[in-house]
Amino acid sequence: MFEVLDPTPGTAPPAGRLAPRLDTLEGKTVGFISNGKEGTKGFFKHLDQILREEYGVASVVSRTKSNYSAPADPHIVAEIKGWDAVVSGLGD
Amino acid sequence: MQFASRSYSADSISAVQELYHSNGWTDGLPIVPPTREAVQECLEWVMMPPDQLIGIEPVRGLAITAEKLAINAVMAGCLPMHFPVVVTAWTAMMQQEFLMHGATASTGGCAVLVILNGPIRLEIGASGSFNALANSDRATAVIGRAIRLCLINLLDDRPGVIDRSTLGHPGKFSYCVAEDEEDTTWLPLAEHRGVPKGASSVTVMSAGAPRQLMNEWTTKPEEILETFAAEMRANMRHYSIHPGNYAIVIPKQLREHLQAGGWTKADIATFIHERARIHRREWAEVGKGAVVRDRGDSVYTAMDSPDQLLVVAAGGPAGGFGAVIPPWLGNKSYAVTLPIGVCVDCEPPKK
Repeated sequence: MFEVLDPTPGTAPPAGRLAPRLDTLEGKTVGFISNGKEGTKGFFKHLDQILREEYGVASVVSRTKSNYSAPADPHIVAEIKGWDAVVSGLGD
Repeated sequence: MQFASRSYSADSISAVQELYHSNGWTDGLPIVPPTREAVQECLEWVMMPPDQLIGIEPVRGLAITAEKLAINAVMAGCLPMHFPVVVTAWTAMMQQEFLMHGATASTGGCAVLVILNGPIRLEIGASGSFNALANSDRATAVIGRAIRLCLINLLDDRPGVIDRSTLGHPGKFSYCVAEDEEDTTWLPLAEHRGVPKGASSVTVMSAGAPRQLMNEWTTKPEEILETFAAEMRANMRHYSIHPGNYAIVIPKQLREHLQAGGWTKADIATFIHERARIHRREWAEVGKGAVVRDRGDSVYTAMDSPDQLLVVAAGGPAGGFGAVIPPWLGNKSYAVTLPIGVCVDCEPPKK
Protein backbone atom coordinates (compact mmCIF):
# COMPACT_ATOMS: atom_id res chain seq x y z
CA MET A 1 0.00 0.00 0.00
CA PHE A 2 1.27 3.40 -0.96
CA GLU A 3 0.21 6.71 0.50
CA VAL A 4 1.18 9.36 -2.00
CA LEU A 5 0.83 13.14 -2.19
CA ASP A 6 -0.92 15.43 -4.66
CA PRO A 7 1.71 17.31 -6.73
CA THR A 8 -0.63 20.14 -7.76
CA PRO A 9 -1.51 23.28 -5.80
CA GLY A 10 -4.89 21.74 -5.03
CA THR A 11 -6.58 25.12 -5.08
CA ALA A 12 -7.55 27.22 -8.05
CA PRO A 13 -5.11 30.02 -8.85
CA PRO A 14 -6.28 33.52 -8.01
CA ALA A 15 -8.46 34.56 -10.92
CA GLY A 16 -9.60 37.90 -12.24
CA ARG A 17 -13.29 38.75 -12.16
CA LEU A 18 -15.26 39.79 -15.20
CA ALA A 19 -16.61 43.32 -15.11
CA PRO A 20 -20.42 43.69 -15.04
CA ARG A 21 -21.89 43.19 -18.51
CA LEU A 22 -22.97 46.30 -20.39
CA ASP A 23 -26.62 46.76 -21.36
CA THR A 24 -25.62 48.30 -24.65
CA LEU A 25 -22.49 49.19 -26.55
CA GLU A 26 -24.08 52.32 -27.98
CA GLY A 27 -22.12 55.45 -27.16
CA LYS A 28 -19.51 53.47 -25.22
CA THR A 29 -15.72 53.53 -25.35
CA VAL A 30 -14.12 50.18 -26.08
CA GLY A 31 -10.41 49.51 -25.62
CA PHE A 32 -8.42 46.93 -27.56
CA ILE A 33 -5.29 45.44 -26.04
CA SER A 34 -3.34 43.62 -28.72
CA ASN A 35 -0.32 41.43 -28.12
CA GLY A 36 1.15 42.98 -31.26
CA LYS A 37 1.43 39.87 -33.38
CA GLU A 38 0.74 39.96 -37.08
CA GLY A 39 -2.57 38.11 -36.75
CA THR A 40 -4.09 40.80 -34.51
CA LYS A 41 -4.04 43.51 -37.16
CA GLY A 42 -6.78 42.33 -39.47
CA PHE A 43 -8.91 41.04 -36.59
CA PHE A 44 -8.92 44.27 -34.61
CA LYS A 45 -9.38 46.39 -37.73
CA HIS A 46 -12.48 44.41 -38.62
CA LEU A 47 -13.79 44.39 -35.05
CA ASP A 48 -13.32 48.17 -34.83
CA GLN A 49 -15.47 48.60 -37.92
CA ILE A 50 -18.22 46.26 -36.67
CA LEU A 51 -18.38 47.88 -33.24
CA ARG A 52 -18.72 51.38 -34.67
CA GLU A 53 -21.00 50.65 -37.62
CA GLU A 54 -23.24 47.91 -36.23
CA TYR A 55 -23.22 48.52 -32.49
CA GLY A 56 -22.89 52.31 -32.32
CA VAL A 57 -19.72 52.32 -30.25
CA ALA A 58 -18.60 55.93 -29.80
CA SER A 59 -14.87 55.36 -29.79
CA VAL A 60 -12.36 52.55 -30.00
CA VAL A 61 -8.96 52.92 -28.33
CA SER A 62 -6.28 50.58 -29.64
CA ARG A 63 -3.23 49.76 -27.57
CA THR A 64 -0.44 47.26 -28.21
CA LYS A 65 1.68 45.59 -25.53
CA SER A 66 5.41 46.28 -25.76
CA ASN A 67 6.16 42.58 -25.13
CA TYR A 68 3.69 40.08 -26.50
CA SER A 69 4.73 37.43 -24.00
CA ALA A 70 4.34 39.58 -20.88
CA PRO A 71 1.38 41.18 -19.13
CA ALA A 72 0.14 44.52 -20.49
CA ASP A 73 2.34 47.51 -19.71
CA PRO A 74 1.33 49.49 -16.58
CA HIS A 75 0.43 52.59 -18.63
CA ILE A 76 -2.05 50.53 -20.67
CA VAL A 77 -3.56 48.98 -17.53
CA ALA A 78 -3.91 52.50 -16.08
CA GLU A 79 -5.95 53.56 -19.10
CA ILE A 80 -8.51 50.76 -18.69
CA LYS A 81 -10.57 52.57 -16.07
CA GLY A 82 -11.42 55.18 -18.71
CA TRP A 83 -12.98 52.52 -20.96
CA ASP A 84 -16.40 50.87 -20.74
CA ALA A 85 -15.21 47.55 -22.14
CA VAL A 86 -11.95 45.85 -23.08
CA VAL A 87 -11.11 43.29 -25.74
CA SER A 88 -7.75 41.61 -25.15
CA GLY A 89 -6.53 39.59 -28.08
CA LEU A 90 -3.69 37.31 -29.14
CA GLY A 91 -2.42 37.02 -32.67
CA ASP A 92 -1.57 33.31 -32.54
CA MET B 1 5.92 16.75 9.43
CA GLN B 2 2.54 18.22 8.48
CA PHE B 3 1.77 18.46 4.78
CA ALA B 4 -0.85 20.67 3.15
CA SER B 5 -1.18 18.31 0.19
CA ARG B 6 -4.04 15.88 -0.14
CA SER B 7 -2.91 12.27 0.08
CA TYR B 8 -4.14 9.24 -1.83
CA SER B 9 -3.92 5.54 -1.10
CA ALA B 10 -2.94 3.14 -3.85
CA ASP B 11 -2.73 -0.65 -3.63
CA SER B 12 0.23 -1.19 -5.89
CA ILE B 13 2.93 0.54 -7.88
CA SER B 14 0.75 0.13 -10.97
CA ALA B 15 -2.14 1.83 -9.20
CA VAL B 16 0.15 4.74 -8.30
CA GLN B 17 1.19 5.12 -11.93
CA GLU B 18 -2.40 5.08 -13.15
CA LEU B 19 -3.44 7.60 -10.49
CA TYR B 20 -0.79 10.08 -11.62
CA HIS B 21 -1.22 9.50 -15.36
CA SER B 22 -5.01 9.66 -15.26
CA ASN B 23 -4.87 12.98 -13.41
CA GLY B 24 -2.42 14.45 -15.93
CA TRP B 25 0.29 14.78 -13.26
CA THR B 26 3.16 13.31 -15.28
CA ASP B 27 5.21 13.99 -18.40
CA GLY B 28 4.10 10.65 -19.84
CA LEU B 29 6.85 8.64 -18.17
CA PRO B 30 6.41 6.60 -14.99
CA ILE B 31 7.02 8.46 -11.74
CA VAL B 32 8.54 7.62 -8.39
CA PRO B 33 5.73 7.54 -5.79
CA PRO B 34 5.93 10.74 -3.73
CA THR B 35 5.37 9.22 -0.32
CA ARG B 36 5.36 11.33 2.84
CA GLU B 37 8.70 9.81 3.84
CA ALA B 38 10.43 10.61 0.55
CA VAL B 39 9.10 14.17 0.46
CA GLN B 40 10.04 14.72 4.08
CA GLU B 41 13.61 13.57 3.40
CA CYS B 42 13.96 16.19 0.64
CA LEU B 43 12.66 18.94 2.89
CA GLU B 44 14.90 17.88 5.75
CA TRP B 45 17.90 17.89 3.46
CA VAL B 46 17.36 21.58 2.68
CA MET B 47 16.10 22.29 6.22
CA MET B 48 12.85 23.82 5.03
CA PRO B 49 9.38 23.38 6.49
CA PRO B 50 6.75 22.23 3.99
CA ASP B 51 5.09 25.65 3.84
CA GLN B 52 8.34 27.50 3.15
CA LEU B 53 7.48 30.00 0.43
CA ILE B 54 10.00 29.69 -2.40
CA GLY B 55 8.39 32.49 -4.36
CA ILE B 56 5.32 33.86 -6.03
CA GLU B 57 4.93 33.18 -9.73
CA PRO B 58 4.86 36.76 -11.00
CA VAL B 59 2.10 36.69 -13.63
CA ARG B 60 -0.63 34.54 -12.09
CA GLY B 61 0.29 35.11 -8.45
CA LEU B 62 0.74 31.42 -7.61
CA ALA B 63 2.49 30.66 -4.33
CA ILE B 64 5.22 28.06 -4.80
CA THR B 65 6.06 26.14 -1.62
CA ALA B 66 8.93 23.83 -0.76
CA GLU B 67 6.44 21.00 -0.21
CA LYS B 68 5.12 21.13 -3.76
CA LEU B 69 8.59 21.35 -5.29
CA ALA B 70 9.66 18.37 -3.19
CA ILE B 71 6.69 16.23 -4.24
CA ASN B 72 7.45 16.85 -7.90
CA ALA B 73 11.18 16.36 -7.38
CA VAL B 74 10.57 12.94 -5.81
CA MET B 75 8.26 12.04 -8.70
CA ALA B 76 11.06 12.93 -11.13
CA GLY B 77 13.44 10.58 -9.37
CA CYS B 78 15.36 13.12 -7.30
CA LEU B 79 17.19 12.07 -4.18
CA PRO B 80 17.32 14.55 -1.29
CA MET B 81 20.80 15.65 -2.37
CA HIS B 82 19.42 16.80 -5.73
CA PHE B 83 16.71 18.93 -4.17
CA PRO B 84 18.82 22.06 -3.41
CA VAL B 85 19.38 22.40 -7.17
CA VAL B 86 15.65 22.17 -7.90
CA VAL B 87 14.85 24.80 -5.27
CA THR B 88 17.51 27.17 -6.59
CA ALA B 89 16.52 26.68 -10.22
CA TRP B 90 12.91 27.48 -9.38
CA THR B 91 13.95 30.51 -7.37
CA ALA B 92 15.87 31.70 -10.43
CA MET B 93 12.95 30.99 -12.75
CA MET B 94 10.66 33.16 -10.66
CA GLN B 95 12.83 36.26 -11.14
CA GLN B 96 10.97 38.82 -13.23
CA GLU B 97 13.62 38.94 -15.95
CA PHE B 98 13.21 35.23 -16.67
CA LEU B 99 9.58 35.79 -17.74
CA MET B 100 8.62 32.26 -16.76
CA HIS B 101 4.97 32.46 -17.77
CA GLY B 102 5.73 33.80 -21.25
CA ALA B 103 8.59 31.40 -21.84
CA THR B 104 6.73 28.29 -20.73
CA ALA B 105 3.37 29.17 -22.32
CA SER B 106 4.69 30.34 -25.69
CA THR B 107 4.05 28.68 -29.02
CA GLY B 108 7.84 28.95 -29.42
CA GLY B 109 8.22 25.76 -27.42
CA CYS B 110 11.42 26.35 -25.51
CA ALA B 111 12.58 24.39 -22.48
CA VAL B 112 14.31 25.53 -19.31
CA LEU B 113 18.02 24.76 -19.66
CA VAL B 114 19.69 24.30 -16.27
CA ILE B 115 23.47 24.69 -16.05
CA LEU B 116 25.28 23.53 -12.90
CA ASN B 117 28.51 24.96 -11.55
CA GLY B 118 30.58 24.46 -8.42
CA PRO B 119 31.27 21.61 -6.01
CA ILE B 120 27.69 20.35 -5.87
CA ARG B 121 28.23 18.84 -9.35
CA LEU B 122 30.77 16.42 -7.91
CA GLU B 123 28.78 15.73 -4.75
CA ILE B 124 25.72 14.63 -6.71
CA GLY B 125 27.61 12.93 -9.55
CA ALA B 126 26.58 15.35 -12.30
CA SER B 127 28.81 14.73 -15.29
CA GLY B 128 29.82 17.26 -17.90
CA SER B 129 31.57 14.69 -20.08
CA PHE B 130 30.14 12.01 -22.40
CA ASN B 131 26.65 12.76 -23.74
CA ALA B 132 26.63 16.01 -21.74
CA LEU B 133 23.42 17.40 -23.22
CA ALA B 134 21.47 14.18 -22.90
CA ASN B 135 21.35 11.20 -20.54
CA SER B 136 24.85 11.71 -19.18
CA ASP B 137 24.08 10.80 -15.57
CA ARG B 138 21.38 10.32 -12.97
CA ALA B 139 21.67 13.75 -11.34
CA THR B 140 21.18 15.94 -14.39
CA ALA B 141 18.48 13.63 -15.75
CA VAL B 142 16.28 13.81 -12.66
CA ILE B 143 16.92 17.49 -11.90
CA GLY B 144 15.93 18.50 -15.42
CA ARG B 145 12.85 16.31 -15.22
CA ALA B 146 11.89 17.82 -11.85
CA ILE B 147 11.90 21.29 -13.40
CA ARG B 148 9.40 20.15 -16.03
CA LEU B 149 7.14 18.22 -13.64
CA CYS B 150 6.96 21.31 -11.40
CA LEU B 151 5.96 23.40 -14.42
CA ILE B 152 3.29 20.87 -15.38
CA ASN B 153 1.81 20.48 -11.93
CA LEU B 154 2.33 23.89 -10.34
CA LEU B 155 1.73 26.20 -13.31
CA ASP B 156 -0.60 23.91 -15.27
CA ASP B 157 1.97 23.93 -18.06
CA ARG B 158 0.25 21.04 -19.76
CA PRO B 159 0.22 20.76 -23.54
CA GLY B 160 -2.79 22.64 -24.85
CA VAL B 161 -3.56 24.19 -21.46
CA ILE B 162 -1.00 26.79 -20.40
CA ASP B 163 1.76 25.24 -22.53
CA ARG B 164 0.81 26.31 -26.07
CA SER B 165 4.00 25.06 -27.77
CA THR B 166 3.58 24.29 -31.44
CA LEU B 167 6.39 21.73 -31.47
CA GLY B 168 8.42 21.87 -28.27
CA HIS B 169 11.64 19.84 -28.19
CA PRO B 170 13.02 16.83 -26.31
CA GLY B 171 14.69 19.10 -23.73
CA LYS B 172 11.24 19.57 -22.28
CA PHE B 173 11.60 16.15 -20.66
CA SER B 174 14.91 17.12 -19.06
CA TYR B 175 17.51 19.74 -19.99
CA CYS B 176 20.31 19.99 -17.49
CA VAL B 177 24.06 20.09 -18.00
CA ALA B 178 26.97 20.29 -15.59
CA GLU B 179 29.98 22.30 -16.71
CA ASP B 180 33.20 20.26 -16.93
CA GLU B 181 35.16 22.56 -14.63
CA GLU B 182 37.89 20.02 -13.87
CA ASP B 183 39.02 19.66 -17.46
CA THR B 184 39.32 23.26 -18.53
CA THR B 185 41.43 26.30 -17.79
CA TRP B 186 38.42 28.56 -18.25
CA LEU B 187 36.45 30.28 -15.54
CA PRO B 188 33.23 28.45 -14.69
CA LEU B 189 30.15 30.03 -16.24
CA ALA B 190 28.73 31.09 -12.86
CA GLU B 191 31.97 32.77 -11.83
CA HIS B 192 31.99 34.55 -15.16
CA ARG B 193 28.51 35.80 -14.28
CA GLY B 194 29.50 37.12 -10.86
CA VAL B 195 29.05 34.20 -8.47
CA PRO B 196 31.98 33.92 -6.00
CA LYS B 197 34.65 31.34 -6.83
CA GLY B 198 33.88 27.94 -5.37
CA ALA B 199 30.16 28.55 -4.77
CA SER B 200 27.72 26.02 -6.16
CA SER B 201 25.24 27.65 -8.44
CA VAL B 202 22.50 27.20 -10.99
CA THR B 203 21.93 29.09 -14.24
CA VAL B 204 18.56 28.87 -15.97
CA MET B 205 17.89 29.90 -19.55
CA SER B 206 14.80 29.76 -21.75
CA ALA B 207 16.35 27.65 -24.44
CA GLY B 208 15.65 26.17 -27.82
CA ALA B 209 16.97 22.77 -28.84
CA PRO B 210 20.74 22.39 -29.20
CA ARG B 211 22.04 22.86 -32.75
CA GLN B 212 25.03 20.55 -33.15
CA LEU B 213 27.95 21.60 -35.33
CA MET B 214 31.25 20.01 -36.34
CA ASN B 215 34.66 21.29 -37.35
CA GLU B 216 37.46 18.75 -37.09
CA TRP B 217 39.53 20.24 -39.85
CA THR B 218 41.36 23.09 -38.16
CA THR B 219 43.14 23.96 -34.95
CA LYS B 220 42.81 27.72 -35.44
CA PRO B 221 40.56 29.33 -32.79
CA GLU B 222 39.14 31.84 -35.27
CA GLU B 223 38.07 29.08 -37.68
CA ILE B 224 36.57 26.95 -34.92
CA LEU B 225 34.60 29.88 -33.57
CA GLU B 226 33.50 30.87 -37.06
CA THR B 227 31.59 27.60 -37.22
CA PHE B 228 29.78 28.46 -33.98
CA ALA B 229 29.04 31.97 -35.26
CA ALA B 230 27.75 30.56 -38.55
CA GLU B 231 25.34 28.30 -36.68
CA MET B 232 24.09 31.31 -34.76
CA ARG B 233 23.65 33.24 -38.00
CA ALA B 234 21.65 30.31 -39.35
CA ASN B 235 19.40 30.44 -36.30
CA MET B 236 18.92 34.17 -36.82
CA ARG B 237 17.88 33.58 -40.41
CA HIS B 238 15.77 30.50 -39.93
CA TYR B 239 14.27 31.08 -36.49
CA SER B 240 14.55 34.43 -34.74
CA ILE B 241 16.54 37.59 -35.37
CA HIS B 242 16.06 38.94 -31.84
CA PRO B 243 19.26 39.36 -29.78
CA GLY B 244 19.53 37.65 -26.40
CA ASN B 245 21.30 35.03 -24.33
CA TYR B 246 22.78 32.32 -26.51
CA ALA B 247 24.71 29.43 -24.97
CA ILE B 248 27.52 27.63 -26.73
CA VAL B 249 28.78 24.28 -25.50
CA ILE B 250 32.40 23.50 -26.31
CA PRO B 251 33.63 19.93 -25.73
CA LYS B 252 37.22 19.02 -24.97
CA GLN B 253 38.59 18.48 -28.48
CA LEU B 254 37.73 21.96 -29.73
CA ARG B 255 38.23 23.48 -26.29
CA GLU B 256 41.86 22.39 -26.22
CA HIS B 257 42.62 24.21 -29.46
CA LEU B 258 41.07 27.39 -28.06
CA GLN B 259 42.87 27.06 -24.75
CA ALA B 260 46.19 26.33 -26.46
CA GLY B 261 45.78 29.59 -28.33
CA GLY B 262 45.27 31.40 -25.03
CA TRP B 263 41.62 32.23 -25.68
CA THR B 264 39.51 32.93 -22.61
CA LYS B 265 35.72 32.81 -22.44
CA ALA B 266 35.71 36.61 -22.67
CA ASP B 267 37.84 36.46 -25.85
CA ILE B 268 35.48 33.89 -27.33
CA ALA B 269 32.42 35.98 -26.53
CA THR B 270 33.96 39.10 -28.06
CA PHE B 271 34.84 37.23 -31.27
CA ILE B 272 31.42 35.60 -31.52
CA HIS B 273 29.67 38.92 -30.93
CA GLU B 274 31.55 40.38 -33.91
CA ARG B 275 30.81 37.45 -36.20
CA ALA B 276 27.29 36.39 -35.23
CA ARG B 277 25.37 39.11 -37.04
CA ILE B 278 23.32 39.30 -40.20
CA HIS B 279 21.71 41.81 -42.50
CA ARG B 280 17.93 41.82 -42.53
CA ARG B 281 18.02 41.31 -46.30
CA GLU B 282 19.35 37.76 -45.71
CA TRP B 283 15.81 36.81 -44.77
CA ALA B 284 14.90 37.05 -48.43
CA GLU B 285 17.27 34.11 -49.10
CA VAL B 286 15.33 31.85 -46.74
CA GLY B 287 11.80 32.57 -47.81
CA LYS B 288 11.11 35.46 -45.46
CA GLY B 289 11.39 38.27 -47.98
CA ALA B 290 7.99 39.61 -46.90
CA VAL B 291 9.38 40.96 -43.66
CA VAL B 292 12.57 42.52 -45.01
CA ARG B 293 10.59 45.60 -46.07
CA ASP B 294 12.78 48.70 -46.50
CA ARG B 295 15.20 47.66 -43.77
CA GLY B 296 17.40 45.27 -45.75
CA ASP B 297 20.62 47.05 -44.81
CA SER B 298 19.93 46.93 -41.08
CA VAL B 299 22.45 44.82 -39.17
CA TYR B 300 21.29 42.53 -36.36
CA THR B 301 23.58 40.95 -33.77
CA ALA B 302 22.92 37.65 -32.03
CA MET B 303 23.60 39.27 -28.66
CA ASP B 304 23.34 42.86 -27.49
CA SER B 305 26.83 42.52 -26.00
CA PRO B 306 29.45 39.79 -25.58
CA ASP B 307 28.44 39.15 -21.97
CA GLN B 308 25.10 37.76 -23.17
CA LEU B 309 26.92 34.68 -24.47
CA LEU B 310 26.98 31.76 -22.04
CA VAL B 311 30.12 29.76 -22.82
CA VAL B 312 29.95 26.27 -21.31
CA ALA B 313 32.76 23.71 -21.25
CA ALA B 314 31.10 20.31 -21.53
CA GLY B 315 31.04 17.19 -23.66
CA GLY B 316 32.89 13.93 -24.17
CA PRO B 317 36.64 13.90 -24.72
CA ALA B 318 36.64 13.02 -28.42
CA GLY B 319 34.91 14.60 -31.37
CA GLY B 320 35.20 17.97 -33.03
CA PHE B 321 31.63 18.86 -32.17
CA GLY B 322 30.02 21.74 -30.44
CA ALA B 323 26.55 23.09 -29.90
CA VAL B 324 24.74 26.38 -30.11
CA ILE B 325 21.73 26.67 -27.84
CA PRO B 326 19.56 29.56 -29.01
CA PRO B 327 17.30 31.66 -26.83
CA TRP B 328 13.55 31.15 -26.85
CA LEU B 329 12.95 34.63 -28.21
CA GLY B 330 15.84 37.04 -27.68
CA ASN B 331 15.69 39.39 -24.75
CA LYS B 332 12.12 38.57 -23.78
CA SER B 333 13.69 36.20 -21.26
CA TYR B 334 17.08 36.68 -19.63
CA ALA B 335 19.23 33.88 -18.23
CA VAL B 336 19.46 34.00 -14.44
CA THR B 337 22.32 32.68 -12.31
CA LEU B 338 21.90 32.13 -8.57
CA PRO B 339 24.19 30.55 -5.99
CA ILE B 340 22.65 27.70 -4.06
CA GLY B 341 21.51 29.33 -0.86
CA VAL B 342 20.32 26.30 0.97
CA CYS B 343 22.66 24.16 2.98
CA VAL B 344 24.09 21.66 0.53
CA ASP B 345 26.59 20.14 2.95
CA CYS B 346 24.26 19.54 5.87
CA GLU B 347 23.21 16.08 6.86
CA PRO B 348 19.51 15.63 7.53
CA PRO B 349 18.65 15.50 11.24
CA LYS B 350 19.06 12.16 12.97
CA LYS B 351 15.82 10.25 13.40
